[in-house]
Amino acid sequence: MTESTVIATRPTPGHPRPYDFPAFERATLANGLQVITAQMPGRPLVTASLILRNGAADDAPDVAGATSLASRAISEGTERYDAVALVEATERLGAGLHADAGWDASTVSIEVPVARLEPALDLLAEVAAHPTFPVREVERLREERLNDLLQARAEPRRRVDEAFIGTIYKPSSPYHQPSGGLAGTVGTLDADRLAHAWRRGFDPRRMTLILAGDLDGAGGGGPVAVAERLFGGWALAPGATAIGGSVSSESAINSRVIKLLDRPGSVQTEIRVGHVGVPRRIEQFAALSVMSAILGGLFNSRLNMKLREEKGYTYGASAGFDPRRGAGPFSARVAVNTEVTVPALVELLAELDRIRQEPVTAVELAAARDFLVGVFPLRFETPGPVVGALGGIVVHDLPDDELATYRPRIEAVSAADIQAVAEARIHPDRAAIIMVGDAARIVGELEAAAIGSVEVIRDADATDPGA
Amino acid sequence: MVNPSVPFTDERLPNGLRLIIAEDHLAPVVAVNIWYAVGSKNEVPGKTGFAHLFEHVMFQGSRNVKKAEHIALVQAAGGTINGTTWLDRTNYFETLPSNQLELALWLEADRMGTLLDALSQENLDNQREVVKNEKRSSYDNRPYGSWSEKLQAHLYPEGHPYHHPTIGSMADLDAASLEDVSAFFRTYYAPNNAVLAVVGDVDPAVVRTWADRYFGGIPANPAIPPVRDMTLPPTLGAEIRETVTDQVPLPRIYFGFRAPVVGDRRLDALEVAMQILAGGKGSRLDRRLVRDDQIAQDVVAFVLGFIGGGSIAAGWATLKPGVALERVEAAYLEELDRLTREVVTDDELARAKALIETEELGALSRVEERADRLAMNATLFDDPALIDTMLARYLSVTAEQIRAVAADVFRKDNRLVLTYLPASGSTEEAAE
Repeated sequence: MTESTVIATRPTPGHPRPYDFPAFERATLANGLQVITAQMPGRPLVTASLILRNGAADDAPDVAGATSLASRAISEGTERYDAVALVEATERLGAGLHADAGWDASTVSIEVPVARLEPALDLLAEVAAHPTFPVREVERLREERLNDLLQARAEPRRRVDEAFIGTIYKPSSPYHQPSGGLAGTVGTLDADRLAHAWRRGFDPRRMTLILAGDLDGAGGGGPVAVAERLFGGWALAPGATAIGGSVSSESAINSRVIKLLDRPGSVQTEIRVGHVGVPRRIEQFAALSVMSAILGGLFNSRLNMKLREEKGYTYGASAGFDPRRGAGPFSARVAVNTEVTVPALVELLAELDRIRQEPVTAVELAAARDFLVGVFPLRFETPGPVVGALGGIVVHDLPDDELATYRPRIEAVSAADIQAVAEARIHPDRAAIIMVGDAARIVGELEAAAIGSVEVIRDADATDPGA
Repeated sequence: MVNPSVPFTDERLPNGLRLIIAEDHLAPVVAVNIWYAVGSKNEVPGKTGFAHLFEHVMFQGSRNVKKAEHIALVQAAGGTINGTTWLDRTNYFETLPSNQLELALWLEADRMGTLLDALSQENLDNQREVVKNEKRSSYDNRPYGSWSEKLQAHLYPEGHPYHHPTIGSMADLDAASLEDVSAFFRTYYAPNNAVLAVVGDVDPAVVRTWADRYFGGIPANPAIPPVRDMTLPPTLGAEIRETVTDQVPLPRIYFGFRAPVVGDRRLDALEVAMQILAGGKGSRLDRRLVRDDQIAQDVVAFVLGFIGGGSIAAGWATLKPGVALERVEAAYLEELDRLTREVVTDDELARAKALIETEELGALSRVEERADRLAMNATLFDDPALIDTMLARYLSVTAEQIRAVAADVFRKDNRLVLTYLPASGSTEEAAE
């Protein structure tokens, strides 16, 4: 076979075409509801999201999961439609209607060809403003959630995540449980509690409708006029309260805690290492982003290079922060084959130490920075992610130029900034180390490694970590 | 409604590399997607999982690219990158800011031409361990994790190229040698066995120049072996039943059927049927089993399309605690059977098509998806222009075509029923 001749010289990039995040405009309806529109020429499939600043973190601990379940229940029956009639009406428009409760906000979204935007927004408005929470459907959804939690017990990933947050947050913090709640609270949720959770956030002055796409074809006098007709008459719901204040995110631990949840026969150990992290609104957000990319975000991150590409211990290792209104968790995450559990954990901890103790190299810094800056236009090719990013500005009260200034702020991050933010925000000595795996094959070696004292939790004494 | 149309050019380099270029200047991004006509169907017994293991090796460096450098260069250019292996193909793709296109082409050419220069036992051993952990993470350590392997094994007879899973077996992965890797590369990773699609903010004349420059010196392989005979009878011939005991809290029943191949118009009708059966809360199965009877936690139905011998129509229902298996199986099968007897209503058909139309519009709005589909249609059907016909084909499906394909496929003698039951100790009372 003839030999290949290839060009050895690596090409250099051409001049980048300038890119700006889509320009957006704000309008305010008569009742105070904010409307943000981002015109994206050539994108006839429009995304519209109504954001209510009422999230899972606003649930009291004894009704954890109420907002999440409420967001599923609002499309199960409204004043004008039963559940089936509503989904059929949505489908006739070729639209997808989705409601979801995150930690900080609830969102009702619709994706639809622009020519049918007005009838689609009419359905969105109906679901958001006039849900009836039919008892039969609420009970079915509650039962499905309880069954889902039962299934989660068999999923090592979900089990380790539940145990991790149940360990690092105090029970008084909403982040102590999954946003959908656990059996102890979900079991108490009824139609009244869901209606209360939903109406709590129904204050037009604190709602924002975000639309992106080629809105020129919207008809009806344009999207703001349509919104005024469909949303502008809304009033404060009875029971709506000024929520969205601070979120309790107190740590439950102040030293290293190691728990091994026994799952006999597991061929892998799921490992989480971490602690309470940071809220979204912090000064060092750009440095934190670059640091996270180097530690555990990029494919060539330190954790993935060490544990996957050097050692072959795993299909993938990652680490990062989950910034929320309150301090969301920091976690390093990996699943490794059972026999290398302890060496993998030792390597992982060493990387958490190293990012704090020595500055990243110039090559690492450039790679992470150039990735985050370069990938920015790729993230916003279509309307959905543009609406998502604008929603972040709304939910976290960020300045309107947050996205426009993102790239220069990332470019300004130095190696010293990264080390400083790692020292301030990553604490291996105070981390919870939570594992789900075959304890009999791990525990001896784990104790001998002198990482810390190990609590083994066997199936028989497994308890609901949120209880 | 907008009729999606993707203008493109289609040509071949002298060494056989098929080059497809589609210009789109909406966003300053470019997608590169290269399909090699080799997948797990090209593997032989004793060497299963090889095409996928090889895909991993393709990221381990080549003559001018060091280990770990391939992905690092793409990410540092602001790009995203991955590769996938499936029964009929292996593909590699990256999306980058459009000014970084030349780097992507250089990287793809370097590994197509000179992968073996960088191949080492150490890299192979490392990626073998990574793939074994991928198998553990994605299959072995998951509840119901063996279902897809069992589905393939039952629906395609022993010896058929689709009989074994893409991930392969642990024993075969352990047995893979450097010689195997080299031979696989020399056989299949040749320009005349590949399609390169470039979609986005590009100047086609420049793309052509770069494609010639970087790929032009890679020789063709005149002796790419044909795939083994893939033909199959249209049905299984008899019902197949298996019960599996696993660490699962809730029982689940999987159904599998042999179905027409991709490209057969009947499969288009079957795809629309699956939307009507299980495409969301308004669908028949969801309404019957989840909403009205409340006997299932979830229901799913889908098509896995393949080109040789037969595709797969499959689905599952997860039981609610305390519900009898027979009841769920009967209800699921009744809904399939109803499709074979009565035509779907005009409204059901119209809703399914409206959703498919929106989904297609959304998919085709992304350069990455367009590059993938152009390369797919060129690789599997020798016709990239099929990208423009898919939506029209779905929209032309009639209620009678749905009934007819359902009658062909959803037959007892063409049915696999695979039931997962909780191992003792893994079931628990539902919390109330």
